[in-house]
Amino acid sequence: MTVVELRDVTREHGQVHALRGVSLEVGQGELVAVMGPSGSGKSTLLNLAGGLDRPTSGAVLIEGRDLAGVRDLAALRRGSVGYVFQDLNLIPSLTAAENVMLPRELDGVRAAQARREALAVLADVGVDQIADRFPEELSGGQRQRVAIARALVGERRLLLADEPTGALDTATGDEILHLLRERCDAGAAVLLVTHEPRYAAWADRVVYLRDGLIAEASAVRLESSR
Amino acid sequence: MSIRHGLLALLSSAPRYGYQLRVEFEASTGATWPLNIGQVYTTLSRLERDGLVAPGGADEQGRAVYTITEAGREELERWFSTPVDHSDRPRDELVIKIAMAVAATDVDVGEVIQAQRMAGMRTLQDLTRAKRATGGGLAQRLVLESMIFKVEAEQRWLDHCEAVVKEKNQ
Repeated sequence: MTVVELRDVTREHGQVHALRGVSLEVGQGELVAVMGPSGSGKSTLLNLAGGLDRPTSGAVLIEGRDLAGVRDLAALRRGSVGYVFQDLNLIPSLTAAENVMLPRELDGVRAAQARREALAVLADVGVDQIADRFPEELSGGQRQRVAIARALVGERRLLLADEPTGALDTATGDEILHLLRERCDAGAAVLLVTHEPRYAAWADRVVYLRDGLIAEASAVRLESSR
Repeated sequence: MSIRHGLLALLSSAPRYGYQLRVEFEASTGATWPLNIGQVYTTLSRLERDGLVAPGGADEQGRAVYTITEAGREELERWFSTPVDHSDRPRDELVIKIAMAVAATDVDVGEVIQAQRMAGMRTLQDLTRAKRATGGGLAQRLVLESMIFKVEAEQRWLDHCEAVVKEKNQ
């Protein structure tokens, strides 16, 4: 099942063509990585896929719904889309569990229920033992796990990750990708933006953005050098 | 094999004689792969046998001048458009290919880099799958990671080549 689909999407910022006719589908259980030099349109693509921005032309569909026809994008985002960023992640004055509860409470879920859900998803990502600690008491890897828990809580099936391994060392970064991979295998769809080939390599598919256009790492014939 | 293709790349811009090819080959590849003149003439005679170059007379000093043939140009184009396999190559071939692509006037360096980058990514994906499959085997994991770091280094170098070429062309 396709969770998010971009159909011939363009996005212009004034005279600048950030995306020039991009089509991309991410299915349930699929991890797709987007690579490209800075300024190639990676973040624009992620913002469009999550309904944070609207295309100049073309269509974006989340779970079959064309976002052009959705009035309350914020509600759809809260219900269907989780975000993980490199920073600006957790609210420092809330515990790990409270950070994860927040989107559910915004949706009107009672606190006791929201806490039960938060603890369950924290256990899914392997950090339930630090549920009552504050962000500053956590390691970088633990903080990013809590952020992923917050992005997943409430059965959201589309996860958008923008450089989620940013400041982490390679072993911890690999753990985060391992975790995203597991969430995919459990049925989530993940769209990952990264500039690090080692993390993109965890994906089922890797697409390259160059000057607002997509090139996919599909079969290229290799030449043996002997 | 890359000496063959390196010489074809040099001949694609103008006819040259053997000594000239040797000097320019070493200049283009930053002397990563020193050639002796014997290798140059052996390679030229094989290229001639295969119809990829033709001897075109001699200069004032009587040195044989070689010209690339139409078949030679086709072979060169095929070489530039085909990424190098990671499994069994002498590592320098990629470096030589990029150096020759930069020196040539009619090759899209960006395309050569992108094809290699995508091929490298597929290798990385294979290695990462293998790493996941090892489970807890630490030694096996570290061996696979050593290969991952090597491919990653190449990917970074390709990014760097692309950025530098782009900057020079602006």
